[in-house]
Amino acid sequence: MKIAVCIKRVPDMDVRFKIGANGTSVDEAGLKFDISDFDGYAVEAALQIKEKANAGEVVVISLGADNVQETLRKAMSMGADRAVQLKHDAPVFDSFAIATALAAELSTGGYDLVMFGRMSIDTANQATGTMVAELLGLPIITAISKLDFDGGTVKARRELEGSYELVECPLPAIVTIDEGIARPRYPSLKGIMAAKKKPLETKPAQVGEQRYTLDKMELPAERAAGRIVGEGKDAVPELVRLLKEEAKVL
Amino acid sequence: MSAGHVLFTILFVCALGFFAANIQRLIGELQLGHTDDARWNDLPTRFGNFLRIGIFQEKIFRDSIAGPMHAAIFWGFGILTLGTIEFLLGGVIPGFSFQPYFIAPVYAFFALNQDVWAALVIAAVGMALFRRLTKRVKRLQGAETHPNDPLLILSWIAALMITMFAYEAFEMVAHPETLTPMLRPISFGVAMAFSWMSPSAAAVAHDLAWWTHGLLVLGFLNYLPYSKHLHVVASLPNVFLSNTSGPGPKGVMKPMDLEGDLEVFGAKDVTDLSWKSLLDGFACTECGRCTSVCPAHTTGKLLSPRKIMINVRERLESYAHAADKSTVADRTLLDGYITEEELWSCTSCGACVQECPVSIDQLSVIMELRRNLVLGESRFPEEVMPAFESMEQRGSPWAFDPGDRGKWAEGMNIPTMAEMAERGERPEVLYWVGCMGSFDDRAKKTTVAFAQIMQASGVKFAILGQEEKCNGDPARRMGNEYLYQMLAKDNIETLDKYGVRTIVTACPHCFHQIGNEFPQFGGNYDVVHHSTFIESLLAQGRVPIVQELHGPVRTFTYHDSCYLGRYNDVYDAPRETLRRALPVINLVEMPRSKDKGLCCGAGGGRMFMEETVGKRINVERAEEALATGADAIAVACPFCMTMMADSVTSRDANVQVYDIAEVVAGQLRT
Ligand code: SF4
Ligand code: SF4
Repeated sequence: MKIAVCIKRVPDMDVRFKIGANGTSVDEAGLKFDISDFDGYAVEAALQIKEKANAGEVVVISLGADNVQETLRKAMSMGADRAVQLKHDAPVFDSFAIATALAAELSTGGYDLVMFGRMSIDTANQATGTMVAELLGLPIITAISKLDFDGGTVKARRELEGSYELVECPLPAIVTIDEGIARPRYPSLKGIMAAKKKPLETKPAQVGEQRYTLDKMELPAERAAGRIVGEGKDAVPELVRLLKEEAKVL
Repeated sequence: MSAGHVLFTILFVCALGFFAANIQRLIGELQLGHTDDARWNDLPTRFGNFLRIGIFQEKIFRDSIAGPMHAAIFWGFGILTLGTIEFLLGGVIPGFSFQPYFIAPVYAFFALNQDVWAALVIAAVGMALFRRLTKRVKRLQGAETHPNDPLLILSWIAALMITMFAYEAFEMVAHPETLTPMLRPISFGVAMAFSWMSPSAAAVAHDLAWWTHGLLVLGFLNYLPYSKHLHVVASLPNVFLSNTSGPGPKGVMKPMDLEGDLEVFGAKDVTDLSWKSLLDGFACTECGRCTSVCPAHTTGKLLSPRKIMINVRERLESYAHAADKSTVADRTLLDGYITEEELWSCTSCGACVQECPVSIDQLSVIMELRRNLVLGESRFPEEVMPAFESMEQRGSPWAFDPGDRGKWAEGMNIPTMAEMAERGERPEVLYWVGCMGSFDDRAKKTTVAFAQIMQASGVKFAILGQEEKCNGDPARRMGNEYLYQMLAKDNIETLDKYGVRTIVTACPHCFHQIGNEFPQFGGNYDVVHHSTFIESLLAQGRVPIVQELHGPVRTFTYHDSCYLGRYNDVYDAPRETLRRALPVINLVEMPRSKDKGLCCGAGGGRMFMEETVGKRINVERAEEALATGADAIAVACPFCMTMMADSVTSRDANVQVYDIAEVVAGQLRT
């Protein structure tokens, strides 16, 4: 089976962010980047499919400036066979514009299965995979936690609140991956060294028209420190007053 | 020349030839291993080790029962070998004796020693046999051992001694005119017991004893290469060739060349180990001293460092003996001999290396195998993954924001190196805080205490703040050399950027890593552990402390950190620091202290792994500390702090665990 996994380079979420000088981007100084979490699960799931069948190819694709090459290499160090960078130096926020570029690339690849993470963990639009499916006219199953194949059919399980559903559709198809499917492997040094020799192809991204633009980015307001109103019974009236007037919860 | 001499000469030459062939086979087996670091450098240390540990049996004496026993056999063997040379030459050259070649008193001394030492050896061998047969000495047990081999060897040695006395005595009976009772008093005693024999009968008995002795000698020589008693041949060279790099009794971890085209990562099989590790396998006597002090083993984990060494030799022999390598290719050292569970139980405490009487380095084998699991196979306990990822992403094994690294110092008026450099200033020392000291709530108290001491003592110091990263020790000890080197090189770059020379740190892991292992990558700094640093400040009278001479006497026990103690020989500084800070302190020692100290259980990356098998190591250590009756436990390592505090407070809430810096800071004049 020939599988494509579309991955995104995102900043490590445990680090405090700063907004860049232009007010519409994140200041990248001091940030560390990695494969978006759900995309990592997708890569792992793809590799397991290939290993189980002992045949096939896993191609990772990412859109962005040259720094995505590092992300692609990481996926190859996990075991992906080759990579495609859809080069676009300016950041793209419009999911549809990204989907257009990806669909253009995917349509010529002859893939049996295209995988996405359920969403990226930085912008969390959950849109690109679905839009690509629509553009390519392929069936899609979203947010799946388990994956199986039966001849030309993909069978997937989706977690719902308190229950789950089993869905299937014919290949070729698109799936988006939820966590819990498989823990991404830690690249071995063997993998890292092998990845250096694997092919990474760079092509200009045919990004579609960007119909929405980012106006402004802001950090959430710092939470104000707690305040001690007083102690014992005497503090109650003041507390009630504050809850009514300031917090407006009463 | 009699027919006897001709026959003996033939046997002797064959035996020597056979022995030489065997030694050559063993050398060939060693050559299956990889090259190693220089082992012929640093000769003064090597000869020193050879004399202390080899000839004078320093480590053997760490066991007060087996020590004298073994030393008697070992020294006896050395002295009796001279007699054996005389004996063998006498078998080849009719009538040969050393006597004409030496002045009388020298020969008399030689002969007397033969008799006396032979008797001592018989006594020691008897004791050893008695001990093995009647007492189940715990460290001598173990499924991996070969318990019959020592019995055979000991009996063999006894037979050698007995036949020696026999031929000497019968010679005296057969030729009473040559009697020299003063030269060989014990043989003479035996001769007296047989004085009823006729000279001709005694001559026959002599020949019988002589030939038995001769055959036993030649047989012994050729049995050795097949026995665990190969250590007779291998251990002295092994002691000479053992690690000398780094302070303390053992070396630092070997760097891997990650630039080159690696085919194997670490070691999967014996052929990936260094020849020195293979020699270690030959030198192992199966004495079990290492396993008896291994914190993992003694708390019920699968790991036994002795088994690791026995497995190395077993695997090497089965590999080397198979004419067709494909018949042994389906197994490797890591597959069929040593399990992953064993390898991941190791805390890298170094107790095994410290204890081994023949200076075997079990830990290197464990680490090379771990490297293969991580770098080659990406196989490790899954709890470790977040630590690896976080070290790579955030420069600390815990998922803290690197921007918060210097947060503990807020309001303390402590400059960062960057701030100082901006002002064109240079600090006296750089305070390397470490990840625990920066992020762990308990360890931060130590960090603040140490900073207060330095401030009060007028030490001009700075920190790196968010430019500091994990030194990489957990990654390296967990086999992730790639991640380690990344971190080490990043840190060296930062340190060199500021031209840092002197570093103080409260973490023994940072201390060991930066001081002893960063030089492998060109980072050379004077690194001082805070115990040594505070002690010298106290000694110089620079620390303004209140000397309470009449307060209540507090009883402390100090828990040694492996990376400070065994790895770096710092035992006295932390104890001295406590004594200087609290002049009326009552310092009690745990049964296992200093170089016999028991690990807290956190080293070697164990901090980041679950401990589900057997008793928890920190519980074992806390119980030992509490049993001293101390009302406070002192540590000098943030990892030890976590492990000890966790287990002590849940057992006895009245006993506190302090870092030595906290004790000193508590005495600061305000
Ligand atoms: S280093 Fe410590 S834990 Fe590891 S094998 Fe040796 S004694 Fe056991
Ligand atoms: S490795 Fe050393 S301490 Fe351990 S059993 Fe062998 S000889 Fe004894």
